[in-house]
Order: sequence, then structure tokens, then C-alpha cells
Amino acid sequence: MQMPHPSQDIISQRETLAAGLRQIVGSEWVISDEVERKPYQCDGITAYMAMPLLVVLPASTEEVRAVLRFCHERGVKVVPRGSGTSLSGGALPLEDGILLVTSRLCSVVEVDAPNRVARVQPGVPNIAISEAVSHLGLCYMPDPSSQLISTIGGNVAENAGGVHCLKYGVTADHILGLQLVLMTGELLQLGGAFLGASEGELDLMGVLTGSEGLLGVVTEIAVRLEPVPEVARVISMSFPSVEKACECVGAIIGVGVIPAGLEFMDRKVLDAVSVLIRERFDDRTEALLLCELDGTAVEVDALVHVVSDVARAQGAIELKVSTTEEERQRIWSSRKLAFSAIGKLCPDYYCTDGTIPRNKLPEVLNTMAELSEKYGLDYANCFHAGDGNLHPIIMYDAAKPGDLEKAEAFGADVLIACVNVGGVLSGEHGIGVEKRDLMTHQFTDVDLHQQQMLKCAFDPQELLNPGKVFPTACRCAEFGRMHVRGGALRFADIPRF
Amino acid sequence: MTQIQQTQAREHPSSTQDVADIIMDAASAGHSLAITGNGTRCGFGNPVTASRAMALGGLDSVDFYDPEDLVIRVGAGLTLDALEAMLAAKGQYLPFEPPRYTGLYGTDGARSTVGGAVATALSGPRRILNGAVRDFVLGVEGVNGQGDIFKAGGRTMKNVTGYDLSKLLTGSCGTLAVLTAVTLKVLPAPRAEVTLIVPAQTLEEDAALFRTIRALPLGVGGLARRVSPSGQCEVLIRIEGTEPGVAGNRAVVEGLLQGREGARVVERTESAALWQDVRELTCLAPRADELVWRVNLPGTAMPAFVAEARRAGCISRFFVDWAGGIVFSTMRGVQPEVDVLRYRKMAEKIGAKAMLLRGPDAIRAQFGAFPPITAGLAALAGRTRAAFDPGGLLNPGRMTVQA
Repeated sequence: MQMPHPSQDIISQRETLAAGLRQIVGSEWVISDEVERKPYQCDGITAYMAMPLLVVLPASTEEVRAVLRFCHERGVKVVPRGSGTSLSGGALPLEDGILLVTSRLCSVVEVDAPNRVARVQPGVPNIAISEAVSHLGLCYMPDPSSQLISTIGGNVAENAGGVHCLKYGVTADHILGLQLVLMTGELLQLGGAFLGASEGELDLMGVLTGSEGLLGVVTEIAVRLEPVPEVARVISMSFPSVEKACECVGAIIGVGVIPAGLEFMDRKVLDAVSVLIRERFDDRTEALLLCELDGTAVEVDALVHVVSDVARAQGAIELKVSTTEEERQRIWSSRKLAFSAIGKLCPDYYCTDGTIPRNKLPEVLNTMAELSEKYGLDYANCFHAGDGNLHPIIMYDAAKPGDLEKAEAFGADVLIACVNVGGVLSGEHGIGVEKRDLMTHQFTDVDLHQQQMLKCAFDPQELLNPGKVFPTACRCAEFGRMHVRGGALRFADIPRF
Repeated sequence: MTQIQQTQAREHPSSTQDVADIIMDAASAGHSLAITGNGTRCGFGNPVTASRAMALGGLDSVDFYDPEDLVIRVGAGLTLDALEAMLAAKGQYLPFEPPRYTGLYGTDGARSTVGGAVATALSGPRRILNGAVRDFVLGVEGVNGQGDIFKAGGRTMKNVTGYDLSKLLTGSCGTLAVLTAVTLKVLPAPRAEVTLIVPAQTLEEDAALFRTIRALPLGVGGLARRVSPSGQCEVLIRIEGTEPGVAGNRAVVEGLLQGREGARVVERTESAALWQDVRELTCLAPRADELVWRVNLPGTAMPAFVAEARRAGCISRFFVDWAGGIVFSTMRGVQPEVDVLRYRKMAEKIGAKAMLLRGPDAIRAQFGAFPPITAGLAALAGRTRAAFDPGGLLNPGRMTVQA
């Protein structure tokens, strides 16, 4: 992975910079010792590593502003990071940049139950928001599977999804306001702490969400709270073929039901899981769907009937419906254990997250089977079927020379197949460094140019998280001077990283 | 209401490439462009001063509609009526319930376009249940101020692939790029709908009722307080879902109404007609010489805000939607210069956002139709605009803000 060339000049100033930053955040909150910096050298994707120049942990918005201003004045790059659970290398450090860690910005500032809003700092773990309001019968809906650890700031940066976003939407749909610090240290308030607070403004908040830390550092987030659904029930449906299961997904939505979650697991995943949960799945089962329905008790009962009828009509072999919360948890445990179960089958696995139109599921699943043969690597499938978000699990052995490269190439081919059927490179993990060089498969140079021009509006010196998301630097100064007509030729000689 | 001479050329592109050509021609001739769909909401936002105009009504293609995938892609010029009819045929709907507001502007709502709905980002009463326009725009195609055709987003529900320019363009009133096509997430329309109509009490009591109802997951897709055509002040509660779900939730809501006599229930077409009136502000019935305001605010702050504004003469008539989170009002505007500023100040004091939905061009040009923003935010918005339209060709002035 080619990253922007590190500046030896900046690296040589490490101790001076550390001294300056200590003045801002206090001496113990700047980590310069090599051993102590080591845990920060990668995020959730360990294939990419780099030692950060310094790790800085501010404790307030004012400290964040001062740190950014300090770095801006000295031309020092900044990589923001929450808990470091990114699965795309979004928080991969730079050798000539500081790692700005938000873990001390971790308070729930205000819970406004009557207006169903909470204001929280970016370092608050996702789950902690729901915990802070559960006594009020409220919750924060988006629930990425990393929710125990991942921070809301990171969720905003990656526009995190989760199991429930088919019905409840992704992070962006639940954000009402953001307090934003630009690279210069300038503080801005976007939106506010009530519905519609951002109306009549350019939706900068919308574009900040999912911008992977390239545009600014968020220091406070106003999130929508929702009443906790009264009841949730899950139906486990087994099918004799992958195609039948895929068709059932479309049929459920086709009859007008939006499940709270709709998950798919193939036979390989089920075999791996059955060892862990000591439960055998019917021999004829080639694919399993888990469909969760939530709402009031009567509503859910009605929906359970509708979905069960659809599943039977679509050729389901067996249906199991949870009748108690305990049963629901048990049925879900197969899905929750899927990734660790696969982990027991192979030394290493690689998982990516392309997203496709739902009716292209059979086509893309066939392509995966072909690719598996081509690369000689096994794979399993376990994904968010309701929103077409695939998580193919490619199994390999890092100890075998060339295996990692094969797995990466397999993964990239799957993503390209997703784009080719009208899908996207990433549903919820983000582009980061992992999928950066695939961006040209989804977007034309003109599309990418338009996105990168936005960087020039926020951070023209490209100090914030450079080298991520886009395969080229944005060269704001040059873009600004260019007069445009036509398109493609302008970009012919842009050097890639 | 745009300040365009009727005699001046209005371009009618029929393809995205036409749009790009018109923009590049305008750029090379030093012209600016007023961008509209069919122009039914030109009175929204600040008046545009442009030397040429482009109307996108001809871009009315339906590129694909995949009901099982809950997604549709259409040209920006397709009318909302045509789109909604197509969705209704498959039992689906636009979740953000876009208002036309053409009653306010004296135009024909049947001609309001999808592009206009996305560009203005106005959400209807269902906002409290389903979300805003921005939450359902999955992808866009547009042409920037330099004539570049670009796309952003996609057609999948989940997508973190590059910056979400779709959200940024939503609500940008055509000041960043000309929207030529949009991809929208749609939802199955609820199978059942009932509306409880309850006599209103004081604003405080009704606001408290809204909070009680909103604290429970009851599928309530509409909570408003208005004056009925017969002059009764009433609270409207719309409950949606499956037949049994609605019946169950209705019983729960009725339980919460203990002590309020005289509730009535309307269903189906009658309920739908009622909410169309709310969505279109029909119950406000503003006179031609009145200003019309739309104020977003925390529901808890609403009763005191309305009381103060009425005392100060800033509110003539009003009604409340979004469970108290939005106040629509008329202003007599005897001295609009004074009243506009006074009302804005009142809103600002509690962090509310006051939008002048309708008013004479001169007033909107002088004070700005949109809620004022800080100098820092205005500067960032300006730089963002320059990233799309460095020459300032597109809808100049539409979103300019008074500092």
C-alpha cells in the first residue's frame, strides 16, 4: 500500500513537536515513547501498519482546537482515531503525522428525553449511548457489530451501519447536529439538537458523515433517540438452496414488510457455527435466513404470520420462531458467532463489504464461487441480506507465501463484481486505505474530482488523514486555477500514490 | 417570482448532456442561470437574479423502479404526482411526504418536480416517524457550474464509498450543481391509517401530550395541532401500520387521552385528505399580503415561543406540526423590516431556526429567507459552493445569507 511520502523534516522535529503539544494537553497525554506508540500502529485491519509520529489525547473541544491549530501552523499531518476498530484502515497512522485519539472525549453531555435527543462527545462507545438512556425507554438505533467498542465519533466518520439499518437507517439518519473543528482550529456548529435543526443550511453535516476523517474533527454529536421497540421476535428460515433464500428476501420486502434485521448464512457458516452452539442444522439446508421483526406485540405477531407464509411459499424447509427473549437471543447467537466460528476453520480470514442491489445476489454469489476456484481459496458467506451488504469471508493462511496477496486479489475482484452489477465498494466499513485504489472502478475521474474539490473547501493543505479514500492527492492549489471544459483529459497524468 | 424577464430565453434541456452544454455556453458567454424544475416553488428561498433560465421539466425519465429493492431512479423533471402514482400502484410511497407549498406561491402543485423536492429538501408531517428527504436520497447525477457531469452515491441502502455528495446536494437549492437525476429509497405504504382528532387544550398541555405519545413506539406518523376549517382548535394523531397493529396502537393512544372528551376518528381517504391539508399548510390560509414562516425548534420550547411571539405581534395565525417541533405562522407585516428581525431574534434566542417561507422578493432579498448562520459557517458554505460552481453561475443569490 503506497502512502504519501513521509516528510523527514517533520519526523526530525518529533521531540520539539511533542514539547509543544504537551503544553496544550498536559505531558502525560502526548505519547512519544516508541514502545507506548506501538499499540496504535494499526486499526482493526492489521495488514496495514505504520508507527505514528506522536499520539495525542486531548480532553476537550478547546484542546482539540489548539492541537489542530498547532499542527496546521507547522504543516503537521493529523490522523483522527476513536477506538481503532476501522476495518478499512481509516485510522492507519502516518509516520510524519500525529494520531489524534478521541478516547478522553467520552462524556454524554446531555440527555434531553422530552425532545428525544442526546448530545455526546465523539469518544463515547456506541453502546454507552443506549445504556445512558435505557432507563427512559429510549435507545440509539444504529448498532454496528463493533458497538461495544467502536465510538460514536468513528461511527460518524464511517457512517456506520449494523444489523438494524434496513428498517432504522444508518448513522447519518440519526445525526441532528455536529460540532466540528476544522484543520485550522476553527470551531463550527452544524445543525443543532432538535429535528430539522439543519434545515435551510447547506447539508455539510450530511457530507461530514462518512467522510472518514478527511474533512474535520467532530467534537460533539447530537443524536436522535428512539423509543425501544416493545417486542422483537426472530424467525429462522432454512432453505434447500442459496437461490431460494435470496428470492425469499425480495419476496418478504415485496409484500410490504420491512424487517428490523434480515441476515443470511450459507452452509459453510452453519457447519462452523453448529460446532460452537452444539446444534445441528437440517442436512438439506444450504442457506439460512434470520428475520427479525419488532414493534408492538400485536404488530409483530401479525408480521410473523405474514413472513412465515412468504417463507413457506418460497420453499423454506423449516421455520423456527422465537417466542421468548431468551429464544431470540439463542437464535441470534448463530449469527453473532459466525465470524469467530469461521476463525476456527482457518488460520486467517479476510472479510470485505461490498453492497449490491438485492436482486443481484444470486449473480454475485455465483461469481464468488468462480473466483474461489480461480484463486484456490475457500470462502463462506454471511451477510446483511436485507440491504444487500455482503461480507464474504475469504479463508487463507498468512504463513503460506502469496496467500495474503491471493486473498486480497480475491476480495478486490468480489468488490469489482459488486460495482459491475450496480453496487458499491463499501456498505459500512468505509474505503480507508484498503479499497482506496479500487475507487476508479466505481467513479469516473470527473466524479472523483468533484468529491476531492470538497477537500479543498475544508482542508486545502491536505493535512487531515491524507492518503485515505482517494487514490490521488487532491492538489487543491492546481484545481483552483484550472479552467474546465470536457473532462477526462485533465486527469491523464495525475500521479497515483 | 424569480427576477427574470419573461422575454429572456428559457432553456429546456431534454438530456443531461443538454444541461452540460447549456451551462458551458452560459459560462463562456458570461451568463448566470436560474435553475428550476417547472418553477412551482420559485417563491421559496431568496430571489435569484440571473440573466438566463433553465427549466428541467423535460428530464422526466423513469430510469428504473425496483419495488423489491425499494429503490427508484428518475429524472429530476418528473413530477411528484407522477412518481407518487407509480409508487402507489405497487403499494409504496415516498417516506418523506414532500409538501408542494404551491398554495402559498399561487402555482400548480401538479407540476412540482422530484428535482425540486430534493433541491428544497422540505419534508412533510411524516418526518417524525420516517425521517427527512436527505435520509432517502441514495444517489444523484448532476452537472456542476463548469459543465462537468458527475454522479455520487449509488442505489444501495448502505454506502460509504467516498463523500456523500447526494446529501450535500439535497437542500442546496440548485446552488452547487444542477440535479439531473435522483435515486430514492422508497418504502411500502402502511396498510392501514387512522387519525384521531381530539379537541385541543392549552399549548403546554398539547405539547405534553405530544411528548407522551412520542415516547412510545406506536407508529405515529403525524402529530399536529391546528384550527379546523370550521374553526375548532384540534390535535391530530395519525397512526399507521398493519391493520392489527394500528388497532392495537390506537387503543394505547386512546388510553393516553384519558380525560379528553370528544375525540373522533377518521380513516383512509378522509385521513389522507386531512394530512394533505396539514402538509400543504391549507389550514393556515394566509392572506395574500401576509408573510409565512416556518420555524424549527425543540418541541419543549414551542409553547413559550409561540406565546411570546403572539404577544409581540409576530404571529398572526399559526399551527404546529412534527409533534411540536415546527411552527408555521403568518405575519401581517405592517412593518416587515421590524417584525422580521424581531421574530428572527426571538427564534435565535432559543436556538430555533426561522425560515421565511413566503414573502415579497424585496423582503427575502434584504433579510434572507433562510435562518441566518454564523460568519464561519457562511464562509465554509461559500468555499463549498466554489468547489462546485466557482463562477457562481447557478441560482446566484438563492442561498446567500445575511451575516
